[in-house]
Amino acid sequence: MGEPRVTIRLDGNGRAYRPGEVLAGEYRLISIPREDIQAVEVSILWYTEGKGEEDLAVHDFHRLSAGDGDWIDPREPGRFSTALPPSPLSYQGVLVKIRWCVRVRVFLTRGREILGERPFQLGEVPAVRDAPAAKESPAVEVPSP
Amino acid sequence: MARGFRVWQKKRGNRRTGSRKLGLAGELLFFAVSFLLGCGGLVVLFTMLVVPEWRVNREFVRGTCTVADKRIAPRAGEDGPLYRPEIQIEYRVDGESYKIWTYDIWSLSGWYSSGLEEKQADLNRFNVGGRYECWYDPSDPRQAVLVRGYSWWVWPVLAVPLSLLLIGGAGLTYTAWTWGKSAERRAALAKRAGALDLVDGRGRSEGEFPGIPNGSKITDSPGTTLAFRLPIAASPAWSLLVLLVAATVWNGIVAVFVRIALNAYLDGKPDWLLTAFLVPCLLMGLGLVVYFFRQLLVTTGVGPTLVEISDHPLYAGKPCRMFVSQAGRLKVKSLGVSLVCEEKATYRQGTNTRSESRRVYRQPLLERTDFEIHPGAPFESECELALPAGAMHSFKSEHNEINWKIVVRGEVAGWPKYERSFPIVVYPCASGKRE
Repeated sequence: MGEPRVTIRLDGNGRAYRPGEVLAGEYRLISIPREDIQAVEVSILWYTEGKGEEDLAVHDFHRLSAGDGDWIDPREPGRFSTALPPSPLSYQGVLVKIRWCVRVRVFLTRGREILGERPFQLGEVPAVRDAPAAKESPAVEVPSP
Repeated sequence: MARGFRVWQKKRGNRRTGSRKLGLAGELLFFAVSFLLGCGGLVVLFTMLVVPEWRVNREFVRGTCTVADKRIAPRAGEDGPLYRPEIQIEYRVDGESYKIWTYDIWSLSGWYSSGLEEKQADLNRFNVGGRYECWYDPSDPRQAVLVRGYSWWVWPVLAVPLSLLLIGGAGLTYTAWTWGKSAERRAALAKRAGALDLVDGRGRSEGEFPGIPNGSKITDSPGTTLAFRLPIAASPAWSLLVLLVAATVWNGIVAVFVRIALNAYLDGKPDWLLTAFLVPCLLMGLGLVVYFFRQLLVTTGVGPTLVEISDHPLYAGKPCRMFVSQAGRLKVKSLGVSLVCEEKATYRQGTNTRSESRRVYRQPLLERTDFEIHPGAPFESECELALPAGAMHSFKSEHNEINWKIVVRGEVAGWPKYERSFPIVVYPCASGKRE
């Protein structure tokens, strides 16, 4: 039996998604005995990276808990699907970066946790160094009253 | 991979996050200690301060007494002498005579306080040989007072343990609520709790565009040439007031040390270390004064700057019209209007919270040089405000921001250079793509 882990696959193979588009995929719990699993949380979320403290917000969240009578079978892949929001878009700035990901957290007995994460991109905002060049707009003079 | 207990966890960007379990344990300890101190303090103070006064007012029995003697009892305190009034009274309860020194419940409890005149005035209200009302403890008639009532100072004293109790209790409740919950689950619960939408002037809500600040302030004020007049980032009056307070406080503190240093010079014992320390402080104080007057000149001399836009909300890649007006009596060397995007990050460094900003985009919209503005005939110009296609939208979370604004920068003969900012809110284009 190998090392316990979580794998996540996105339909469309992780291309850049557009706001409002449906993000769907599946996760698999590898080498995790069923009797060890207490709960599984699937989140589609964004978090910030960079100079500032991390901010995190969940767009979609599902929790399966063995204690609540949910059936968790590690042999079967779990599916998730959600329509993505219009914002915030993925962003690669200088001080601020916004990352989107699918995160699967498995809670095991004795307080252990296993985390699987699959990043994806929402929107196509260019990285700051690739930002469009400054362009002069022609000014129209309005005669002063 | 299964995680064990770690003091430090993984690195995120420029930071390494601490262990959540260790943090929670520390929080739990802090709140538990606060809660217990609050509980203990409240019980002790309640028993010592509230219950005795309450018993005197509710349970003590009214009787009459004769004043046999009176005096001020002194006692040495750490910060000077302390006093309490003492009056010797004679009274009878159930045929038995008692003769005790008393005044109020606090004198019975052995309390002293400062203020001799006040105590003397208390004593003067009673004459030796006079008959007065008194109140005695029915369970122990040897305890009696001449004065009763409630003391106002008891309640502020109780506020101290009560604060500890509330902080500790609220903290313990919050820690218990978050215990064993993942960051995602807590975020999901917080999202559900904060589902009340704050709808802006255009009917857009925080929920509709998550992470984008509410732009209702921008549509508050209609324009005279275009649809909306943009609010200025910081009110000049507030900025000036803050600067004035900062300059006054700083220079006031420095002045105290300058006086000490001058006295040392006059006494013929110059303190060179203090002098060396004061030189940069004085320069900084002077700098604050100069900066204050510079800003005062700009605010009062340059005249108001107005910026108006034709549409709001603004979308990346979608142009709109912009109108700029600069009033005053000015000989302008240059006036520039730019579209600017700034990132702002807030982070903790030790016990301090710091913010850092970086300008990541600047697009000149308008440039004019060498012209004059006369009173009653402000400079006015209209141009296109073209937000770059595929540009990042405005963003605001607890510690991170992406802010767009119109910046007007001027250089005027005889005046310092000035810069005025007008925030705007940019929404993403519908597709989220570079178009």
